[in-house]
Amino acid sequence: MKLKPQKSSMLLEAPFDGLLRKIIANDGDTLVVGGIIAICADAQVSDAEVEAFAQSLGGTPAVTENKAVAAVPEKVDVAQVETKVQAAPKQNSVGNGSKAVTQGGYSIPDELQGYQQSDDIFATPHALKLAEKHNVNLAQITGSGREGRISVQDIQAAVQAAGGSWPDVRHQASTKAAKSKADDSDVLATPVARRLAKQWGINLHDCRASGSRGRVCKEDVEAVYQRENPVQAQHTEYAHPTESAKFTTVAMNGMRKAIAARLQAAKRNAPHFRLTIDLNVESVQALRQQINSTVPQVKLSINDMLIKAAAAALIKVPQVNVQFDEENQQILQFEQADISVAVAIENGLITPIIKAANRKSLAQISNDMRDLATRAKTGKLAPDEFQGGSFSISNLGMLGIQQFDAIINPPQGAILALGAAEKRAVVENDEIVVREMVTATLSCDHRVIDGALGAQFLSAFKQFVENPALILV
Amino acid sequence: MSDTQFDLVVIGAGPGGYVAAIRAAQLGLKTAIVEKQHLGGVCLNWGCIPTKALLSGAALAQQFKHAGQFGFTLNAIDFDIQKLVHHSRQVSEQLVQGIGQLLKKNQITVFNAAAQFIAKEQLELTDANGQKQQISAPHIIVATGARAANLPHIPVDGHQVWSYKEALVPEQLPKSLLVIGSGAIGSEFASLYQDLGCQVTLVDIAKQILPSEDIEVAKYVQKQFEQQGMQVLTEATVKKIETDQAQVHCHIETATGVQIITVEKVLSAIGVKPNAENLGLEALGVELENGFIKVDSWCKTNIVGVYAIGDVAGAPCLAHKASHEAILCVEKIAGLDHVHALDRTQIPGCIFTHPQVASIGLTEQKAKAAGLNINVGKFPLQANGKALALGDSAGFIKTIFSQETGELLGAHMVGHEVTEHIQGFAIAKYLEATDESLAQVIFPHPTLSEAMHESVLSAMQRAIHI
Repeated sequence: MKLKPQKSSMLLEAPFDGLLRKIIANDGDTLVVGGIIAICADAQVSDAEVEAFAQSLGGTPAVTENKAVAAVPEKVDVAQVETKVQAAPKQNSVGNGSKAVTQGGYSIPDELQGYQQSDDIFATPHALKLAEKHNVNLAQITGSGREGRISVQDIQAAVQAAGGSWPDVRHQASTKAAKSKADDSDVLATPVARRLAKQWGINLHDCRASGSRGRVCKEDVEAVYQRENPVQAQHTEYAHPTESAKFTTVAMNGMRKAIAARLQAAKRNAPHFRLTIDLNVESVQALRQQINSTVPQVKLSINDMLIKAAAAALIKVPQVNVQFDEENQQILQFEQADISVAVAIENGLITPIIKAANRKSLAQISNDMRDLATRAKTGKLAPDEFQGGSFSISNLGMLGIQQFDAIINPPQGAILALGAAEKRAVVENDEIVVREMVTATLSCDHRVIDGALGAQFLSAFKQFVENPALILV
Repeated sequence: MSDTQFDLVVIGAGPGGYVAAIRAAQLGLKTAIVEKQHLGGVCLNWGCIPTKALLSGAALAQQFKHAGQFGFTLNAIDFDIQKLVHHSRQVSEQLVQGIGQLLKKNQITVFNAAAQFIAKEQLELTDANGQKQQISAPHIIVATGARAANLPHIPVDGHQVWSYKEALVPEQLPKSLLVIGSGAIGSEFASLYQDLGCQVTLVDIAKQILPSEDIEVAKYVQKQFEQQGMQVLTEATVKKIETDQAQVHCHIETATGVQIITVEKVLSAIGVKPNAENLGLEALGVELENGFIKVDSWCKTNIVGVYAIGDVAGAPCLAHKASHEAILCVEKIAGLDHVHALDRTQIPGCIFTHPQVASIGLTEQKAKAAGLNINVGKFPLQANGKALALGDSAGFIKTIFSQETGELLGAHMVGHEVTEHIQGFAIAKYLEATDESLAQVIFPHPTLSEAMHESVLSAMQRAIHI
């Protein structure tokens, strides 16, 4: 069978003999490690026994899906903890000791009152927050969650059992403002506003009158519409309100999911800072053209040259040639420059690695790159050809991009974003001259690379690019 | 990526080029193909396919000739060669449309233009209106094929002196035809026109007709041709030709002196030469060898990113060799595992004369010249029940095995529909079958293929029916 771990696909061979009897996981499912893919058994085992065994595992395909879903609430909790820090002014004063009924239908019996902060209490962040707000003593409540963790439902059950009341939040009425029903025909409004309001079922009494002579204008009606239809509002200016915006659902494949997860993590965890520098590429272009016109087995691109220059700079400033081992809080500094190069492929991207780019000739880098980029597109890269790397380069120059920022490819410490080579007016010796330039932007993870260090790397890189003889020796 | 930047571009949409493009697209590469004339190349438009359509007409003519043997009396038979040509063109047209659909289905960009390298990875395309545009790709495969070679003193005028193209679309059947060159193309046309009722003379400079075939096969076919009424001259040179209004006078030198043969038409079929010109290959520094593009076993040239497949990359100039090279070249580029280089001994050759010729691997002469110890088996179709029942028992099957290993080194077949049967030996050869294993195979009765079995048994000195 074919497995798709993140960006590649690989074949999994069964490590035992047997007949495939029941397939549990569906094509495209994301499974947890150790998740059940299928059941194999000898031919003599009856279908009923296979079925019984499947049931004993928890039955349906949902086994794996449930596990995957189960992980989600924890992430939500984390988000809630974060928002708590910056939460609005404390409402603790509302819940002082004797008050039995607080706002919104919460009635906490006396025996459960008295919120205390304690390390011994194990509760979900949401439960902690509500307990604090409504002055609930969590020490009195038994948690039903994993390892006795107290959830909001536990508080609700305990409060209700003790005779108090705790509204079921999920059934709360909408807090949306009521709509006017009064006749709005005498409200002053522009004709377009009136027509739009009628079309969208909006009462003109609900609209501000920002127009001249106190009239409701188009903008005011749109504002109400957008308030009531927050999502569609963006592109339904003239669309019929009852018709939802048309879209196609595109399933995320394994690669898309991996890109989403990895780059989200990088953006969230790594404090990025960026440094930009302009490079004069005239010498490097001249050298490239000379090599291309004299050596049959080489066709260097400017990117090949810049990879080589970056490799040289990484050796000169090895503190940028790093991976961050977050778990053990250490920095892994590499002796050779394994440069991951972003390659766009259908519906995604992948970063094949030019290994030991510092030790490779320009010809080797160029021909490796050609092969890796082609195999990236045909899906024939081996895992070790795109996993790892000590530094990344992303070049959008061939698409005409002048300059951009890239997101670090974790656990690496930095990524270099390269723009197009183009002729620009630059000042040299107080004179404006035309030079072929490339703008390079280095994104660094500030946890492991500081600003001055990044600058030092870029300056070394610039030196190699502008004096390409240095990368040939 | 823009509309001018591709992962792989193929120049030429013949059986090498279009196969390469489709395979590349299947493997996920953004692919374009550039063709200056017709999709399908010579094979579909002016070669393999339309000639087979004409040959089926010739086969019918042969059956009419022998109708009496089966109890039929045919009175006057009218033959309108234009209708046969029309059928042949229609078959080509249908297949060419099919190629267009296949390319479309695989989302391959088709450029109807001539291509020229202007730098590594860079092509300039010029369409029929002279419009130019540039496209680029890290991998560019040259699959431009070959065209008829001409002798300087026998210029093709398209009217009295034909190339294969004119021979494919005759306005009327000539009364007499002299064919110069007895390779596959020359022999096929000679046989075709002879069968249709034309008086044919076949001339070759070599000692035998079908110069690349086993000598025994060539001699047998020559005898068959002569029995059909064809005049065959070997070790003969056409010194000069003189044309007048209705006739061509050919001065032919043989061991016995110069003779003049006067015919209505002459077909020049001395061979093909590669279409390696006007592609910008010289400026790029691509190495050529006798005009053909020099490639390694993966069809790579000396210039990075430039590949060549099919006729333009060297003999044998066969469509199936081109298609095979297309697949291996693209799969190698794509990084597939287990790609094998072309093994030339595995390429079967088929010649659609009457009788047909098919072969694979070494000829007896070449095996002996290589100093191999061989066992040779031979079985005549005259001892095959099905061949006799068909009323077409000319031909034989010859097999060559290594004495030491029992490996099938070569197979040579002459006879009815042997081109359909050679794949049996091709499979056996690819799977490295031995004489022993082939002897174990049960061949169905009553079929022509039993003669293949008997030939193997004959090589082992144990043929049953002879």
